[in-house]
Amino acid sequence: MRFNEKELVSLSRQPSEMAAELGMRGHKKGDVVKKRLVKLVVNFLFYFRTDEEEPIGALLLEQCRVEREDSQSFSIAFLDEAERKYLFECDSEEQCGEWVDSIVKASYESMRKNLIFYRTEIHRLTGKDPLEQYGISDETRFQVNNGLQLTPRDTSSL
Amino acid sequence: MKLNERSVAHYATCDSPPDKTGFLFKKGERNTAYHRRWFVLKGNMLFYFEERESREPIGVIVLEGCTVELCESAEEFAFAIKFDCAKARVYKMASENQAGMESWVKALSRASFDYMRLVVKELERQLEEIQEAAGGDCVGAGVGGLQGRSKPSRRNQVSRSRSGASSSSSSSSTSSLSSSSGAPPMAVNYSAQRSLQDEVQLISDCSKENGVAWSKPAVSVANGFAEEASSYAAWEACSDSGNNSGPGADGVRAPPVPRRRRGASLESPVSPGTGCFSKLHDWYGKEVEELRVQWLQSK
Repeated sequence: MRFNEKELVSLSRQPSEMAAELGMRGHKKGDVVKKRLVKLVVNFLFYFRTDEEEPIGALLLEQCRVEREDSQSFSIAFLDEAERKYLFECDSEEQCGEWVDSIVKASYESMRKNLIFYRTEIHRLTGKDPLEQYGISDETRFQVNNGLQLTPRDTSSL
Repeated sequence: MKLNERSVAHYATCDSPPDKTGFLFKKGERNTAYHRRWFVLKGNMLFYFEERESREPIGVIVLEGCTVELCESAEEFAFAIKFDCAKARVYKMASENQAGMESWVKALSRASFDYMRLVVKELERQLEEIQEAAGGDCVGAGVGGLQGRSKPSRRNQVSRSRSGASSSSSSSSTSSLSSSSGAPPMAVNYSAQRSLQDEVQLISDCSKENGVAWSKPAVSVANGFAEEASSYAAWEACSDSGNNSGPGADGVRAPPVPRRRRGASLESPVSPGTGCFSKLHDWYGKEVEELRVQWLQSK
C-alpha cells in the first residue's frame, strides 16, 4: 500500500506530546528489546535509533489496544492482529502510566468520541449546540448518530 | 520507513464510519493522466481504492500539516493537497462536479488531528466554564466524573492546537499570501470564509490558555503564514468583541501549565523546524523591509 512517506517523515520531526528513550520489542518471534527513541506525534508513534534523524518506523495508533504488561512496561496490539504485540519498556511505573494514558488518547477516533460527548453534554446543559457558532455543526465528523456507538462509559453521565 | 501497513489498511475497511467517501480523479505521479479512484476519508487518513468494491486500498495520504487549495487546471473542478516539507508532492485531484469539489475541499481541510484536537479542547473548556458557572453541587456527581476525566487529557492537548486550525485556515490565507509562479490559486471563499473567522476565534480562545504557544518557533512555513495572520486577527478580535468568554472567566482559572518538554534528552535529536524558522525569519524580514519602503515613500 502506498503512503506519503516524505510527509510522514516530516511529521515525525514536529514537536511531540511525548518523546523518550524506551526499550522496544517487535511482535515477531525472536525479536529482542532494543533501545529506541519513541515519539508520539498526533496519532502516530514514531521510533528512531537514538541520534538518527529519520525514524525507522511509524505505527498508526487507530484500532489498537494498549495494555499494561507489568509495572514498567506496556504493549500495543492492533485489532486485526491481536496476538502480535509491540512491547515497550519504561524506566518507571509513573512513566509507563503516562505513556499508556497518552497513547489511549492519541487516536483520532477517541478524540471524536470525546467531542461528541462534550457536544451532547453542552447541548443538554444549555440547550445550544456549541458548534453552531463556528459554522461546523453539519460536518460529518462531528455527528452523534454517524453510526457511532457511544460506549456505556460515554453515556454514563447522561 | 516502516509503517504498520496491514493495520492501517484494516482501519480503512473496518466498520468505523468514514467521514467522507466518493469518486475522485487523482493525477498519477509518473503517469500524469487522471485516474478515477474510490476515496475514503477517515480521520486524518485519505485512502484510495481502485474500485469501490476493492477490499484493500491502493494507497493512503496522511493529511497532517497539509493545505487544500483550488487550482487552475485544464481539468475541471480540480483542487490540490499540498504539504510544506522539502520535495513534498502535490496531490492533484479533481471532482466530477462543483458540489463534489467544494464538499471535498471542505472535508479535507478539516481532516487533521490537530484541528479535531482544537475543537475538542474548545468544547472541553466551554463545558468546564458551564460547570463552574452552574456551581459544583447542583451539576452533580455524573458530571463530576467528567472533570476527573478531562483534566489529565488537557495536559497532552496543549502544545499543538494552533497548527491544526492553520491547516484549514491557511487554505484561504496561504493563497492570498504566497506568490506562486503560475496562475495564483483561487481563494476558497464560499462558506469557508465565515468559518475561517470562527476558527480564528477558536484559536484566540485557545491561545489565551496556552500562553507559551505563540512563541514557539518550530512551525513549518505554511503554518507560520497562517499562524501570524490569524494571530493578529485573533488578538484584534479579542480586544474588540467581548463574546469569547464570560465576564470574569479570564481571571478565574489559571491556565494549565504545559508540560516541560524541551530538554534535549527528550526531544528528537533533530531540532524541529530549524530550517523552517530561518525561512520564517526571511519572510518577516522581507515584510518589514517592504513596510519601511512604503513608509519612507509616504513621507
